Amino acid sequence: MTGYETLVVERRGPVGWLVFDRPDRANAMNATMLAELEHAWRELDADRAVRVIVNTGNGDAFQTGLDVVQLSRDPDALREQSRRTKQAELRLTAWHNRVWKPVIAAVNGTCAGGGLHFVADADIVIAASTASFTDPHVSVGQATVFETIGLMAKMPAETVMRMAFTGVHERIPARRAYELGMISQIVDPPALLRDEAQALAETIAQNSPAAMAATKRALWAAFELTQEDAR
Amino acid sequence: MSYPKLECLKLERRGPVGWLLNNRPDQLNAMSARMRDEFEVAWKALDADPEVRVIVHTGEGRAFQTGVDVTEIATDGVGMDRYRESVEAFDLRFTSWHNRVWKPVITAVNGVCAGGGFHWVADADIVIAASDATFFDPHVSVGQVVAIEAIGLLRKMPAEAVMRMAFVGRYERLSAERAYELGMVSQVVDPPDRLRDEAQALAETIARNSPAAMAATKRALWGAFEVGLTEACKRGAQELVSMWGHPDQVEGPRAFAEKRDAQWADYTRAAGE
Repeated sequence: MTGYETLVVERRGPVGWLVFDRPDRANAMNATMLAELEHAWRELDADRAVRVIVNTGNGDAFQTGLDVVQLSRDPDALREQSRRTKQAELRLTAWHNRVWKPVIAAVNGTCAGGGLHFVADADIVIAASTASFTDPHVSVGQATVFETIGLMAKMPAETVMRMAFTGVHERIPARRAYELGMISQIVDPPALLRDEAQALAETIAQNSPAAMAATKRALWAAFELTQEDAR
Repeated sequence: MSYPKLECLKLERRGPVGWLLNNRPDQLNAMSARMRDEFEVAWKALDADPEVRVIVHTGEGRAFQTGVDVTEIATDGVGMDRYRESVEAFDLRFTSWHNRVWKPVITAVNGVCAGGGFHWVADADIVIAASDATFFDPHVSVGQVVAIEAIGLLRKMPAEAVMRMAFVGRYERLSAERAYELGMVSQVVDPPDRLRDEAQALAETIARNSPAAMAATKRALWGAFEVGLTEACKRGAQELVSMWGHPDQVEGPRAFAEKRDAQWADYTRAAGE
């Protein structure tokens, strides 16, 4: 699983790892990462030895959204990303790429703005005790839409709306995220995050891959329908 | 901008923050027919005021809101029947959501919030509460159905807690602390008399963000309750794209780079819709 410039993609036992790797840019997504993400999810999905996927980041931040400065210098990539945004056809996350293996997001630090895509679209989210969540979109004149809509389907909506409207001026600490069920585990000390994520993934990997894939399709489809349709 | 004079509500502006106060403290802010009519006037006045960027809604006295004025219903000879048509048509006008107000709305629960009072908890974007605030829904204890408020809450918080309130009726109260644990409110203010200061501070913080971007966000998020996830993202994309080319998208990053507060374009209903 080589040839990536902005990601580290590797397998440890039954666990596939997708690691954001632009630590000096707080793992913001440039044009290369946008392209590589789609490729990486497909590669991990296709690898029969991978039963569970963990998504985390190198460095201090988990993920901080689009690298707007870099993208503005790459008109072709910007145009393509704009088109995908307009059509709601993003290919950033496991959900976007229809990956039906269980996905654990292991939030290692700041998760800001577009980084929330990877929290909203994971099946399970755990975080280092130092992690925090914020959505600066409205503070720089942008609407926040996909990430917050996804989160609202999964957790108390008032918190999501408060995060959306306070923008850069407030952060949700890992402790509050845990209380609200936005994440299911806090890892302290933070240095143990990857060990804990690997252990959780190995635990999940003991279960039937086919049954988990069918379950995942059913649960995510339930967000699309009324309760009566989903039965 | 001067606000209309109202009997059961108070309207005022403090800086960028519009305040809407329930003002029937002797009746625990129960909603009379008159108050019900005045709500529509009040929301529209605050929405139309370009100086108002964020709205705070709270109550005078020891209650926030206790729903429909049962004494009036029991004694005026008309009763609930005066509301039959608007309820059957679901043509209500007493919350910001009913009136399609796209400015951020903070409900600051200053005391008892009972029954119909939940309309303004369900329909606000953000809810904070005084530490002595309490929540309960007595509808079924007086032979009434609870539907609209509870349905709104079900979309926003753990459903079991909403159903328990609906069925236990007047015999149990939810504390501000438990409401915080459940994510029904995001902040508990103690001592309680600091509630308005905290609400004003939160509103001023929010007022630093782009009014147009917040309006587009609010339409997308509330629109998401209406449809499935993928459809919500597709509709939300239109709101997202609506900000492209807007002056706030240039001003926001520039102000950030220059380490100063942004000078946002005025948000008006016309521009947003």
